Amino acid sequence: MTTLDGVRLVARRELVERTRDRSFLISTGVTLLILCAFIVVPKVFFSNRTPTWDIGLVGGGSAALAGPLGQQAPLVGAKVRVRHPADLAAAETGLHDGDLDLAIIDGNQLLAESDPDDQLVALVQAASRTARAQAALAEANLSDQQIQSALAPPPLPLRTREASDPQRKANRAIALPAVFLLYGQLIGYGIMVASGVVEEKSTRVIEVLLAAIRPLQLLAGKIVGVGLVGLLQLLLVGGIGLTVAVSIDAVDLPPGAFATLGLVLAWFLLGYSFYSVLFAVAGAVVSRQEELQNTATPLNLVLVASFLGAISAIGDPNGPIAKVTSFLPPVAPLTMPVRVAGGDAAAWEIVVSVLITLAAIALLVPLSARLYAGAVLRTGARVKLRAAWTASRG
Amino acid sequence: MLQLKGLTRRYGDLVALDDLSFSVAEGQMFGFVGPNGAGKTTAMRIVLGVLEPDAGEVFWRGRPIDEQTRKRIGYMPEERGLYPKMRVRAQLEYLAQLHGLDPPAARRSAGHWIERLGLAERAGDRVEALSLGNQQRVQLAAALVHDPELLVLDEPFSGLDPVGVDVLAGVLQAKTAAGTPVIFSSHQLELVERLCEAVAIINKGRLVASGVVAELRRAGRRRHFQVGVAGAAADWATAVPGARVVDEPAGNGRVLLELDAGTDEQAVLDAARAAGRVTHFSSAEPTLADLFRQAVQA
Repeated sequence: MTTLDGVRLVARRELVERTRDRSFLISTGVTLLILCAFIVVPKVFFSNRTPTWDIGLVGGGSAALAGPLGQQAPLVGAKVRVRHPADLAAAETGLHDGDLDLAIIDGNQLLAESDPDDQLVALVQAASRTARAQAALAEANLSDQQIQSALAPPPLPLRTREASDPQRKANRAIALPAVFLLYGQLIGYGIMVASGVVEEKSTRVIEVLLAAIRPLQLLAGKIVGVGLVGLLQLLLVGGIGLTVAVSIDAVDLPPGAFATLGLVLAWFLLGYSFYSVLFAVAGAVVSRQEELQNTATPLNLVLVASFLGAISAIGDPNGPIAKVTSFLPPVAPLTMPVRVAGGDAAAWEIVVSVLITLAAIALLVPLSARLYAGAVLRTGARVKLRAAWTASRG
Repeated sequence: MLQLKGLTRRYGDLVALDDLSFSVAEGQMFGFVGPNGAGKTTAMRIVLGVLEPDAGEVFWRGRPIDEQTRKRIGYMPEERGLYPKMRVRAQLEYLAQLHGLDPPAARRSAGHWIERLGLAERAGDRVEALSLGNQQRVQLAAALVHDPELLVLDEPFSGLDPVGVDVLAGVLQAKTAAGTPVIFSSHQLELVERLCEAVAIINKGRLVASGVVAELRRAGRRRHFQVGVAGAAADWATAVPGARVVDEPAGNGRVLLELDAGTDEQAVLDAARAAGRVTHFSSAEPTLADLFRQAVQA
């Protein structure tokens, strides 16, 4: 049996046992629900859907407003349905029953049930001004064409200094659930590695295992196996979430959604490689699950701080905090995807950040592996890192 | 043959093992005894490579034990070690593969030991759902599942009911009969005496005695005497210089005396005759328990 065979066996056990466990299904379901909530809820409650207003025109003086209302509604992103209640009483009933949003009485008074929409009022006021101006200009014997060019000049063209990209906004929006997902997976699967190590220590199965294979094989197998479970869950959650959303056409996914999923998977691998070995050490120095809280807390805090950094990077992806932290290995796995998703990171920045993270992983893995090997067979009191370091002779 | 040569291990100031050497022959059932904290577990962990010695080496069939030979040892740690949530059959197959069996062989072997140890009905259960006795059987199966060349078992009998003891003893005897040496530690000295051909007795990390049980007992014969005295005070023997009462069998009134080195048994006989009418005077083989006490008190 080669070294790799041992690693493969351990990894396969982790993968099989953990995916067979009911808690895997539960956590996948919960994550999926949270992700769907992230995608669906903002669309339902905060979307810029075109509002439709029902406006009742009462009396002859109001009729002139119908034309300008229809012309100007699209300018404020709204639709207007013009109604013609028979009289004031009918308009009041319509307002009361919600059939009308606003009534215009004789062209010189507005009537609403309660506080009307500000945009609606602004639209009607503008239409009213136009109608009055039209009437005044007509009295001054101007032709219809002259009136038209005076009242509806061509709109001013808008020029942006940066190329305008409406998708970019949407991609930044999807960075939020992506960061949540990444953070949840990194902390969840890091803890899973740590508690898996403690389980082997507290049940003493570690002695049976290490009589057959080396500590490094066990560590590598565990990290690879748990990592695969985490990756599989991300694929399931991301894949199912996006596929369902697309197939039932429930939401308009930004075009970058699938690319963002790939981004999340890639940075999960980098972040998990960085954190999992540290979590393994946190597990190896204690003997019981209850003690794990103490040793895992510093790592949890770093992850929480990184998460907050990433959230702030969503708001200001090119600010100094976002820029600096996207190169710091503990934080980069959470902030860099945000900047990449929004198209805010230059290609060289991405390359440098990945290289720094890889270098940090390359440095961390042998250090952590040595600490793990030195601590994992010691039971009883918490093992000091220095003792673990010297106990392990290579 | 398994040879431990000059094993020394310290934990800080504590010397857990001090130049420990003994050997176990092929096909031998070997008992490893000593009081709590004597260093038995430390020695066994070193044999399995779970612990590094500060000095000394372990040889198996004339060569230092390395990673590959270690895989061919069956090990049962002192505090049992299994994944509580893993199912019995899956766990045994996994451990067999870790020790180098290919998947079909691992499946066959796991099935064999599940049958042999009466676990067939529980093979699909999680280990944590089993009774302690059955968990111990799974633990034994875990030590046997890769068909080891050598068995190293730390307190395998502790916590077993008499039926479990018989099953385990039967399995171990079948193993030694097939040529596989078995070394196990135990506090149950009668059991060790009944099962083992040879023993090592250690105390405070040092070897006190080792060898074939029958020879150790014969060597102790010169020093143990069974004496019956009629009409003497109950505590006559405590007054004999150079001798200690090891055991006082009820009924026939005979006592078992252990003589200090240099004490003449004729002087003991004289003392007995002075105390009353001597009805019995014979040299006796000490039990393993006697040897153990003697060794530990020395």
